[in-house]
Amino acid sequence: MISTLTDTERQIALVISGLLSLVGLVLSAAGRHDPLGAQGFIILAFGLSGVFLVISGFHLPEPTEKRFSHYYDEPIKAGIIIAMLWAIVAMFVGDWVAWLLAYPEMTFDAAWASFGRLRPIHTTGIIFGFGGNALIATSFHVMQRTSRTRLADQLSPWFVLGGYNLFCILAVTGYLMGVTQSKEYAEPEWYADIWLTIVWIAYFALYLRTLARRKEPHIYVSNWYYLAFVLVVAMLHIVNNLAMPVSLGSSKSYTVFAGVQDAMVQWWYGHNAVAFFLTSGFLGMLYYYLPKRAGRPIFSYRMSIIGFWGITFFYVWVGSHHLHYTALPQWVQTLGMTFSVMLLVPSWIAAANALLTLNGAWHKVRDDATLRFMMVAALFYGLATFEGSFLAIRPVNSLSHYTDWTVAHVHAGTLGWNSMIIFGAFYYLVPQLWKRERIYSPVLVEVHFWLAIAGIFIYVFAMWNSGVIQGLMWRTYNNSGTLAYSFIDSLNAMHPYYIARATGGLLFLMGAVIGFYNICMTIRSSPAAAKTRNEQPATIGQSRLRPGE
Amino acid sequence: MFQAHYKLERYSVGLVIAIIIAASIGGIVEIAPLFTIDQTVEEAPGMRVYTPLELAGRNIYVREGCYACHSQMIRTLRDEVERYGPYSLAVESQYDHPMLWGSKRTGPDLARIGGKYSDQWHVAHLENPRDVVPASIMPAYSFLARTQLRTDDLSMHLTALKKVGVPYTDSMIEKAVEDAYGQAAPFSALADGVVTRYGDATHIRAFDGDPGSVSEMDALVAYLQIIGRLTDAAHEQKSSGDAE
Amino acid sequence: MNGPEHDILVAFAKSWGLFYLIGLSIGVLVYTFWPGNRKNFDRAKKSIMDDESGPWA
Repeated sequence: MISTLTDTERQIALVISGLLSLVGLVLSAAGRHDPLGAQGFIILAFGLSGVFLVISGFHLPEPTEKRFSHYYDEPIKAGIIIAMLWAIVAMFVGDWVAWLLAYPEMTFDAAWASFGRLRPIHTTGIIFGFGGNALIATSFHVMQRTSRTRLADQLSPWFVLGGYNLFCILAVTGYLMGVTQSKEYAEPEWYADIWLTIVWIAYFALYLRTLARRKEPHIYVSNWYYLAFVLVVAMLHIVNNLAMPVSLGSSKSYTVFAGVQDAMVQWWYGHNAVAFFLTSGFLGMLYYYLPKRAGRPIFSYRMSIIGFWGITFFYVWVGSHHLHYTALPQWVQTLGMTFSVMLLVPSWIAAANALLTLNGAWHKVRDDATLRFMMVAALFYGLATFEGSFLAIRPVNSLSHYTDWTVAHVHAGTLGWNSMIIFGAFYYLVPQLWKRERIYSPVLVEVHFWLAIAGIFIYVFAMWNSGVIQGLMWRTYNNSGTLAYSFIDSLNAMHPYYIARATGGLLFLMGAVIGFYNICMTIRSSPAAAKTRNEQPATIGQSRLRPGE
Repeated sequence: MFQAHYKLERYSVGLVIAIIIAASIGGIVEIAPLFTIDQTVEEAPGMRVYTPLELAGRNIYVREGCYACHSQMIRTLRDEVERYGPYSLAVESQYDHPMLWGSKRTGPDLARIGGKYSDQWHVAHLENPRDVVPASIMPAYSFLARTQLRTDDLSMHLTALKKVGVPYTDSMIEKAVEDAYGQAAPFSALADGVVTRYGDATHIRAFDGDPGSVSEMDALVAYLQIIGRLTDAAHEQKSSGDAE
Repeated sequence: MNGPEHDILVAFAKSWGLFYLIGLSIGVLVYTFWPGNRKNFDRAKKSIMDDESGPWA
């Protein structure tokens, strides 16, 4: 990767890595009596690896001017592999904690192995590790293609990708040591939050700079979705993580908001993380890769624009539906519920647009598992958004909230929609980026597809059942007018469902492992003959940067 | 050339501004009114702040991620009030940075857990939940009793909280470490200071059964026993008008 | 518990939000269905179908 950087970029990379090492050193010294010290060492190690990497490639010849006639695909490739690694790690941890609910003794009497510390590793690993890296990688791909231009420079994409993964690593290692803000989906502490802000600004700048270089006058709608993702996530992240550190040598901080305000800010963040991380960015993916793979333009470009503004506008209001019947003022709850229901309109516009694009190409969906991944993703997006609007209605929420029904809903979205569209996009991208004729084994793509489908159905149905049973048992009265079931009664009723859920998750994890194997084997297979793809000149940095070329 | 480039720039910057406007209004409209806090939250003149030991216990609750399975928010629904107790009021979490309302009840709600069980029950339950509740699926937290509580930085914790609006006095901050020890060591010289600073109703007990030292178990049980007890506002509300 | 300041904010939030919603919807619809934009949109949706040939000079 260093060979693709210009000399100036190599120098800047060296300075950044050096500064990062220095920050790591300072934090490890200042926090030597605190988990912060260990986190400082991770930063130091990361920075030193950067220094080492740059120095080891420093002497290589600079890339030539010819690079401007190629897209810059190396960071995309790295992002895909990193995303798959996160997927496997985080799905494994997710399945592990699922088994813990069925067999709680499996914690080895160790603090780090308890459900409360492992669960955020699963959520952060999936949402930010798997989802985030996939978003970054695909956005680099889409922004270049749709703008018909190369990324604005060679260093920032690596800074964004590397820096972002440092954030993820700090987050999950922190949880193991008990470093957490206990704010759902915003658990990382103040120093990691500051770092992510820096990385995010670089990401935003890179996006705008690349768009500014575009040769295609119109900005394709996928970029709108990606831009909304970058911008709004920045806004949410900064506001929700405003905190007062105990000291510069302590990993602990206290949020500036308290009680009811903190609850509203947290769920404004929490639901919009779903909206702009897991929906907006992923719709950007859908609107690019689905038409590409189907070989047909999107059904209606106008629908995609209306859907975009609807989602961007409506979503921000709906966070308060997480706080129905709580101490939050009722008018805020009502507002959240109303907008949640209205949100169904733009959501279904997007889902319908995707499915209508496939209308007339169903034979391709039947034959091509990669396209089928994308089709199922659009289907689950439609289902999950319908369920979401439904669950946001106050009386429904009174039953579903606090139960496994919420878990079912979230996983219908993350497994059925987010993961499926990522896998679809990756199966499309891998042969293309690595210049292979096709994926290593189309059969294994089929196997992955059906494992994933089976896993989702077992998981979601188990959690729907357990959630509804839980909710009903908690509110059932007997003839004498007292509550019929103790909490433990409801817990006992969950046991078979917890086993089923863990089994479903295991199937999904197996699919992901097979997918990763298939991707690796595709990369290792011999490149396609150049002549079959002569409209695509080799854009791989390594091959065209050999000295003497 | 420059002209064309400028036009392109303007297009993408316009898009950015439009996204920011569309996406920020909803948040501002819903969140801003909540910051007229004195009007959002009920009055509770007698409400006290967490003692240093309770705060340390709360930080253990945060550290272990208990919020993933336990809510601290009883909704205004009949079955919840009958199962757990009076529904939660906004004022009860006014000193909670962050709030721990939670979103999932894999285990029961804890908003009224304070005073519901004895210290011994909590210690036994945290040591191994299945000794007390055979069907429990909660992890065992036996390492808490073995681990000394870190107290040396408690003053800094109180200072940080004061900066974000919790009314800790200078003497509370200054005596934070002593108070943490005093609260877990009844009849000691330090115990009196805790009562002076935090009120007569403050629990002064050897929560983990061992008055000689302050363990993480002491802190967590002290916190669990004060949840929902910092003010009586919710209980008064219940007697004046029933839920629903 | 609801002072005047809070009530004003709430009333403002409730009424003004509605006008904003209507205004924004009209704006988006006008942009989307503006006849002059049709050509651009058609071009955009077809242009991604063939974009692997590398950056344009």
